[in-house]
Amino acid sequence: MKMRIHSRIAWPFVLTLVLTLVVWLIALPLLEQSAYQKALTNNEPVDLSFVHNAAFLISLVGLIAGLSISLIHTNRYVDDLKTLTEAAKELGEGKYQEIDLLPMQNSLREMGELREALQKTARQIEDQIADLSKERAMLSAVLGQMTDGVLIADNSGRVQLLNKEAEKLFMVNERDALGRSVVEVMRHHRLVELWEETRNGPAKTITMEMGAMHKYLQVVGIPLGEDLPGRSMLLFQDLTQTHRLETVRRDFVSNISHELRTPMAGLKAISETLLDGALEDPVVARNFVLRMDSEVDNLTQMVNELLELSRIEAGRSNFDFQHIEPCQLIQKPAERMILQAERVGVTLSYDCPADLPLVFADPERISQVFINLIHNAIKFTLNGGRVHVTAFQDGQMVVFKVSDNGVGIAQKDITRIFERFYKADRARAGGGTGLGLSICRHIVEAHGGIIWAESVENSGSNFFFSIPVVYRNNHN
Amino acid sequence: MSRFTLDQEIKLVQDEMLLLGSLAEQAILNAVDALRRRDIAAAKSIYAEDQKINSKHFAIENHILIIFATQSPLARDLRILAAMLEIITELERIGDYAKGIAKVAMRLADDETPIPIREISTMADKATSMLHRALGAFVAEDLAAAYAIPREDDEVDELYITIYRKIVQNMIKNPETIDHTNQILWVIHNLERTADRVTNICERIVFIVSGELLELDSSDDEDLDD
Repeated sequence: MKMRIHSRIAWPFVLTLVLTLVVWLIALPLLEQSAYQKALTNNEPVDLSFVHNAAFLISLVGLIAGLSISLIHTNRYVDDLKTLTEAAKELGEGKYQEIDLLPMQNSLREMGELREALQKTARQIEDQIADLSKERAMLSAVLGQMTDGVLIADNSGRVQLLNKEAEKLFMVNERDALGRSVVEVMRHHRLVELWEETRNGPAKTITMEMGAMHKYLQVVGIPLGEDLPGRSMLLFQDLTQTHRLETVRRDFVSNISHELRTPMAGLKAISETLLDGALEDPVVARNFVLRMDSEVDNLTQMVNELLELSRIEAGRSNFDFQHIEPCQLIQKPAERMILQAERVGVTLSYDCPADLPLVFADPERISQVFINLIHNAIKFTLNGGRVHVTAFQDGQMVVFKVSDNGVGIAQKDITRIFERFYKADRARAGGGTGLGLSICRHIVEAHGGIIWAESVENSGSNFFFSIPVVYRNNHN
Repeated sequence: MSRFTLDQEIKLVQDEMLLLGSLAEQAILNAVDALRRRDIAAAKSIYAEDQKINSKHFAIENHILIIFATQSPLARDLRILAAMLEIITELERIGDYAKGIAKVAMRLADDETPIPIREISTMADKATSMLHRALGAFVAEDLAAAYAIPREDDEVDELYITIYRKIVQNMIKNPETIDHTNQILWVIHNLERTADRVTNICERIVFIVSGELLELDSSDDEDLDD
């Protein structure tokens, strides 16, 4: 190793050395001369012991002075060095934020450079860590907000990462799940099989229905390969809603085919009978044609209602909203239905409090809702029963109520009766299309209200729907 | 060293047991789904699944016996392994119930008589949810859940009685549906038994944690009182 003595460290020592030498060179010849003169004058033998002593003393003083000056001088560098060492240690411990070195005065240039290098490193680390944590925060925000579940497992099948959506899906929390086996966390053999296949092979996608919650999932298994060797990731997409809509659509098509098939079959049977000879007998023929006519009416009604329903559902139907008194809404349809009720022995009555606020509604459409509801009430009420229509205010809504003391609706059906084609009691519903209540719901919802039913089997049903009060009235 | 491997072996068996549970759970749900969709192919595939359940049952039993023979587990480890030996038998039985339901689904595939499928589905969901949570409670050694889950068996029993009354009434009204109704009775019986098996599993959890063997089925006593 090349030894270099730095001039700034060495100079105090060298200076004292030179000074001592100068003192030596000047003082000693003088002292010696005076010693010889003294000996000549006094005629004594030359006594040089004094000179020797002086030489020794000067050397000693020079040495001590030199040493102590260097000591004091280097001590300052050692202190600086200690500070820097401490700083380097802190950096190693990750306390990069605490490093703030004061500029060093009167120190070695190298020391200053070291200080600057250290400080620069600290700042760089700080920046890098800030970048990393920003990236991390961004990634975890993405993972947390993702609507897909994410699970990452290592080669031995331990769960390494699990996002919020996956927590929900498997009903676990991340803290409990991390480090546990994929079997314990996912609890489904098909998911475990997928994970095993992904671990040893290419990415793969499956769709499956999971457990008693009937979650319909699309799951993608992806080996993470080079980025994270031995790890694989499972992505879970919850398709339950889409699957449900698909089922509804399929049911709708099969329902509508079924609903159309019955009257069609009737028509076919009648026309075949007519062709087979019934045409020859005018009385019978007329009877058959009348039945055909009514079947065609039924079909037309169903097609019209379907069109109406799809128009309202698509939001393409025109509503003629106006400010209107709730009692006016009740009166017209109720009066219209009284005769029909009497014909089957049902008493239809209505009342309406006079102080109800104005509502914002399309009278024609609301009349349609009333006629549907009253019609249903009459149909499901036995001879001698009663149907009553009334209204009351509930906050910012006026609630209309059609009640009967008929056969009622089973609890299991009550939420489904507003679905298309849903018929609680197929035998009794007879001629209905199963669309009436569905249309009612859409009309009421288009008004910003809701429709619901309450019922006790064998003692009657109450149908309610709400219509918002006119805004102006809110301030009165 | 040997302690470490015994723990690991137990974890392995436990994972296998959970997979068996998942197979049994899904088999019940699939069988009811096949019944709903009158899907013969789906019903047949449950037969194949049952084969898988049976062979997995034997494999796990074998694994546990090997552990007994080679590791001589004691105390808690012994209880856990003995409990798992019992539980896999229960799971295998549940697989058989699923097969029973699948058999009915095949027989009724061409029968137009309406099935009270919504109630049956609810019953199946309830029973399999109990099963799922019971096995979770086993792994977590969750004593509170072990006591709570068997109480839900009453809901399953209630559903059983509701469906039973409904279909028997229907059978009396329409004697030509006697065969059909009998099949459905078999389905709901299997579902009711599935929930009972879950109660047995919960008893094993209590056994592991406390070392006690308790009867957790309260409704049986009430049945005697009736």
